[in-house]
Amino acid sequence: MNHLKSLLIAGSIGVAAFGAASAAEFEGIELKMLAIGDTSVTRLAPIVGEFEEMTGAKVQIDMFPYPGLIDKIVIEASANSPSYQLMWVDSPWVGVLGESGALQDLTDWVIRDAEEIHLDDIIPIQLQENTWQGRLLAFPASGMIWHVNYRKDLFEHPDEQAAFKEKYGYDLAPAKTWEQYIDIAEFFTRNAGETLAGNTLEKDFYGNAQAFSRVAGAITHDFFPIMRSFGGQYWDSETGLCAIDGEAGVKAAEVMKRLVPFNPPDYLGLMWDIRTGYMERGEVAQSGYWSVRTVRLTNPDEAVLPTIGEAGYQPSPTEDGGPMETMTGALSFGINSKASDREKEAAWAFIKWGTSRDMMRRFADEGSGVSQFHKSILSDPDLQEKYPYYKVLLETQDTAKRRIYHPFYADVEEIFGVELNKYVAGETDSAQEALTNACTKINTRLKVFPLDMRLRWIADPEAEIFNN
Amino acid sequence: MAYIRKRNRRIFLIFMVPAILVLFCTTIYPMLYAGYLSFRSYDLAKLFVPRIFVGWANYREILSSSEFLHTLTVTFKLMLMTLSVQLVLGVGLALLVTQRLPGMGVIRTLLLIPMMISPVIVGLVWLFLYFPELGYLNYFLSFFGVSPIPWITSTQWALWAIAMADIWQWTPFVMMGTAAALTSLSPEPYESARIDGNSAWEVFWYVTLPQIKPVLISLMFLRAIDAFKIYDIIFVLTKGGPGDTTEVLSMFIYRQSFTFWRMGVGAAASFVSLAIIVILITLFFKSLNRDPLPN
Repeated sequence: MNHLKSLLIAGSIGVAAFGAASAAEFEGIELKMLAIGDTSVTRLAPIVGEFEEMTGAKVQIDMFPYPGLIDKIVIEASANSPSYQLMWVDSPWVGVLGESGALQDLTDWVIRDAEEIHLDDIIPIQLQENTWQGRLLAFPASGMIWHVNYRKDLFEHPDEQAAFKEKYGYDLAPAKTWEQYIDIAEFFTRNAGETLAGNTLEKDFYGNAQAFSRVAGAITHDFFPIMRSFGGQYWDSETGLCAIDGEAGVKAAEVMKRLVPFNPPDYLGLMWDIRTGYMERGEVAQSGYWSVRTVRLTNPDEAVLPTIGEAGYQPSPTEDGGPMETMTGALSFGINSKASDREKEAAWAFIKWGTSRDMMRRFADEGSGVSQFHKSILSDPDLQEKYPYYKVLLETQDTAKRRIYHPFYADVEEIFGVELNKYVAGETDSAQEALTNACTKINTRLKVFPLDMRLRWIADPEAEIFNN
Repeated sequence: MAYIRKRNRRIFLIFMVPAILVLFCTTIYPMLYAGYLSFRSYDLAKLFVPRIFVGWANYREILSSSEFLHTLTVTFKLMLMTLSVQLVLGVGLALLVTQRLPGMGVIRTLLLIPMMISPVIVGLVWLFLYFPELGYLNYFLSFFGVSPIPWITSTQWALWAIAMADIWQWTPFVMMGTAAALTSLSPEPYESARIDGNSAWEVFWYVTLPQIKPVLISLMFLRAIDAFKIYDIIFVLTKGGPGDTTEVLSMFIYRQSFTFWRMGVGAAASFVSLAIIVILITLFFKSLNRDPLPN
């Protein structure tokens, strides 16, 4: 039945996206895509043959790990004759790629094809994430929020609830404040041989898994959502200079350091995938990360957790437990501005096909899924039951905040990665010192640019696609 | 006669042309271009940054940067750690494999294998060994009740972890060079030493070591230059972390050039690195010209 449903959806995608297009519309066009080997692409890659059949274009997707991918994209963008027409874009990259003119402006096409791509059904912040100076430079293929995953089965276990209440004086529940989060992390950190939910542990169990690695700025990626949850800002609105070393930044870095004892011993080397691996294997009590990997927690083929327990999902904690402006992100597809006009048209057709609402629903129905960005999919009761985190994804994005998008993002990511890593490793005495060191380095590079330019870089005008 | 000499010179020049062309394209031009870049502000990613002549600014930035000085310190520290162990182990192994014992030929060949492996593969091999939860090294140590050691993710261990991988790979090089020197030594001084009733240690210290000293110096300098440029193993194992514990000069150059895309600063750092290597080479040649045999 599911198979039949998939076929029908596949057919409808073709009809919807290419109703009048003939199979030979892009005959002779070869599209190459520079992409990541993650769910936003891996789900699509095996079925590109369907697009080829419909349009006549040939598509080749080259997948690389996240660290180093931006290097390839930058080299590609600075080459005069591009070898890749399509580029996978993480939303913080739109600043550097936009200011350099590396990406095709999609604004007019999106306005033209608004109905076809169900523009009204896309969560607005996911589109805003891909804008630079109000122009849309990439189209969401996977929408993310930063949230907390936790071991629901452990949190609901009567023995654990009683023990927690006795120790901390309040009920065990998903953390709403960072203080609660740290308590929970401490409570669940246990050695092999101790008891967890009535069972004797064969190996150590950890209260939390956080990306503390400096590689590709992994620790920076984890630090920013925490900083934002304390109300922190990246940039000073009057000078356009680094403001990450403010009070919120210091509090966030201190939270991360306090969590160190409750993390696996190799915490300084925890990259995103290693960290999510701990959660997927059910070896930690809680872990905050991007929803792009959360889908794996619902799939027994991709994670151990669904077979030994149950995952729960919760918005990220805040300082006082009040509602927070969740941190969002978008993993998107963009078009190389140096591609030929015909290649660009074919690339846009590919993006429409690969990110269409029907395609996203097909992924969700098939069980593989990506982190969704269509309101109708995220609010579908059947899908919400299948993917309980959809509810969190949908509800938190109403007040979501955009990720960093500054043209100097790579510098920020790397410099803060090293300084924060040194701080949690104990090489730097205080959070303030680490953050000030990093901000000083960033500011040295920024100060050579005029004030109006710096202020323009931190401005976030509303996407022009919303004005039509 | 003069005609033949002139013709030979012409033929000589014609034969030289391909080599000069290759050398120009692969070494001289890139080096000149890097030199040109080192005096410019050149950002490969931020195309909006003006690419202008900045004089010595890139060099000034590097030489006044605490980060650069730190990477230089780490580089020399790592060099010292690896060279000292490689020297002792290499000479020891060379003394062993030059003994006329059964199976030594096979052992010698096996010992040379690490040297033949690409450094990236060496890095991956050691990554598997060091992996905190699943690594063979921690697994082996667990039999002795040792808790898992975060080899490459701890500020205490990371540099030693890199050093161990480098020592494993390059000790055979020192061994091979030393063994070659040992087998070419004349037997007479040894016979005299034996007749004089010297112990094995005295023979080694007063007879063998002075004779192989020039070879050891050469080997050490060659290794020092290599160790100074170490990159691959670090890139695979730690990428300079944790913190900046294993951030050597090559990693600094890489980060400037391909993380921050500041090609001008990266090029300037490369030239500073080159200058240090040139000083090392000069010292090397000077040491070779000295009297190899002490009194």
